[in-house]
Amino acid sequence: MSSGNAILAEGLLKDYVTYIRKGFLRKRKRIIHALRGVSFRVRWSEVFGLLGPNGAGKTTTVKIITTLLLPDGGRALVNGFDVVKNPIKVRESIGVVLNVERGFFWKLTGRENLKYFGMLRGLKGKDLEEAIDRVVKLVGLDELRSIDKLYEEYSLGMKARLALARALLHDPPILILDEPTLGLDPPAARGIRELLVRLAKREGKAVMITTHNMFEAEIICDYVAIISSGKISAQGTVHELKRLVADKIPVSIKFSGKIASDLNAVSKLLFESTLSPHIRIKEVRDGFEARILVDAGNEEKAIASSINALVSKGFNVRRAEVVEPSLEDVFIAVTKGDGENAVIND
Amino acid sequence: MPSSMIDVFRAQLHSSIYWYKNNKWMFFSMFLWPYLLVGVMLGLGALVGNVSLFSKRVGVVDPAFYLLSASAVAMSSVGIVDAVAGFALYNRWLGTLNYIFLTPIREAKLMIAAGIPDSIITPLISVVAVAPAAFYFESIVGGLKLVIILLIMYMGMIPLVGLSVLAATALLFVREESNIISSITPFILLLSGVFYPVSVLPRALQVLSAYVPSKYVVDAAKLAAKYTSMPWGWVVLTLGILAGLGAIYNGVASYVVTKAEVAVKRKGVE
Ligand SMILES: Nc1ncnc2c1ncn2[C@@H]1O[C@H](COP(=O)(O)OP(=O)(O)O)[C@@H](O)[C@H]1O
Ligand SMILES: [Mg+2]
Repeated sequence: MSSGNAILAEGLLKDYVTYIRKGFLRKRKRIIHALRGVSFRVRWSEVFGLLGPNGAGKTTTVKIITTLLLPDGGRALVNGFDVVKNPIKVRESIGVVLNVERGFFWKLTGRENLKYFGMLRGLKGKDLEEAIDRVVKLVGLDELRSIDKLYEEYSLGMKARLALARALLHDPPILILDEPTLGLDPPAARGIRELLVRLAKREGKAVMITTHNMFEAEIICDYVAIISSGKISAQGTVHELKRLVADKIPVSIKFSGKIASDLNAVSKLLFESTLSPHIRIKEVRDGFEARILVDAGNEEKAIASSINALVSKGFNVRRAEVVEPSLEDVFIAVTKGDGENAVIND
Repeated sequence: MPSSMIDVFRAQLHSSIYWYKNNKWMFFSMFLWPYLLVGVMLGLGALVGNVSLFSKRVGVVDPAFYLLSASAVAMSSVGIVDAVAGFALYNRWLGTLNYIFLTPIREAKLMIAAGIPDSIITPLISVVAVAPAAFYFESIVGGLKLVIILLIMYMGMIPLVGLSVLAATALLFVREESNIISSITPFILLLSGVFYPVSVLPRALQVLSAYVPSKYVVDAAKLAAKYTSMPWGWVVLTLGILAGLGAIYNGVASYVVTKAEVAVKRKGVE
């Protein structure tokens, strides 16, 4: 395994051009700045997390460093090879998971699918059989002979494991996975997370995942870069990131009631009462939770004024307390309410 | 190690075999297809027209044998265009295209190699399908003619693959979701004169048809139906024309794909 960084991205830029129909022939051009200078590095034996809400630019970043999309600017080296100048060397070095829901042939079995993708990479005969046996065991698809079932019969958890098996087939030193646990039930997600950590720690692979799940980033990533609106807004170890909000106190307020239009109105209400710009509201079991970052020393006042504001609008406040800081608070602080469509934890 | 075109060919061949194995019904129906088509053609022909007049117009002695081989050619041409140009669409639809493009090989080589297995399998199936009829009509000579037709079909396949790679690149570039291919294939059939002579087409289309590889294959099928012994000089000439078209189309295709690659990768393939 070569020394240096497994992945190095410097100032990646990407615009998408779309056209909006305005009448029969007229179209208006719209440019979406998906990446606005994204830089990060992934080291060997490390699980690296690119954390961000939907639309932040995670998939775009993954497509660029896997050679599937050309950047408009900046550069990226993978295993020391430039993704634009030497894409074939890059592809030899990586195993990729893009969208765990699809990406296989429905009318072929799991094993036949793996054979196809293995053969594309030049594996054949006994080597191919052995490689398949190895990865199938690794991801746990050997149980109940599920590998010989048609892909169309697979559950989402099995699909995710098969996607991981394909990524590992040629034993690449670098794994790049775009939201590999998206939509999986907790045990399935846990299985995949444990395997990724094992691959990094035991086999020295560099593992890069994207996720919008704070909890996931916090428990498996050695290093996290937070991306929002096409920019990296903070990066470091989970510990370092938490230090960024050391002068802030997270306050959690659980409440219930009818939210008429959207969460933004409530967000605004809480901003007016606490004067903190770092607010995030999410749905939880039987209601909502507002998480507000306030300056140390102001927490009591903030709790009191939020309760007043919520109660005056007819909400039922269940619980209000100071909580332990987590990665979520860093996220709230550095993204300043960007990506309101983000799901924090699911 | 980078992958070779042979690796891609082998993978694609196996996936087709697995697919047919898991969809046996589809596989068998492909053998019935030429007969269904001919049944419909002859039935309609007898209803609205006159089969012997048709034979005279198209210039064949045995309309049933001719129509069968023409159907086999038609089915193969459609199959090849579908295999190569449809490859991009089908895999984009399945979500497999990005993973296929992760193969360490140049995109142009990948697209050409990936289309070849089905381009070989479909003509083979179509010829095997009409073989019993050929033997029934003309016994061993009929079988021999089919072998010649298959050979010419394979020569015709080479330029058709080039054409289809061009179509596939265009599809990737415009990110067309609807299947343009389904409107390309009838056009190719029209220009190859499968079910009526090219001479009834407008002048411009007649000229265009000289550049459509399957026209020569259809002509071969017609000749095979017309004569009891093959005109060998003509066969050699046809093979020569097809080889020339093959060189030109594949040359143009690999040039265009290499140029278009950057534009396509700016947008992403999926
Ligand atoms: N092919 C595309 N054409 C136009 N816009 C796109 C395309 N792909 C992504 N985008 C836009 O680019 C931004 C980043 O998208 P993406 O990288 O998919 O984000 P993420 O994976 O973090 O959800 C979003 O605003 C998205 O709508
Ligand atoms: Mg995404």
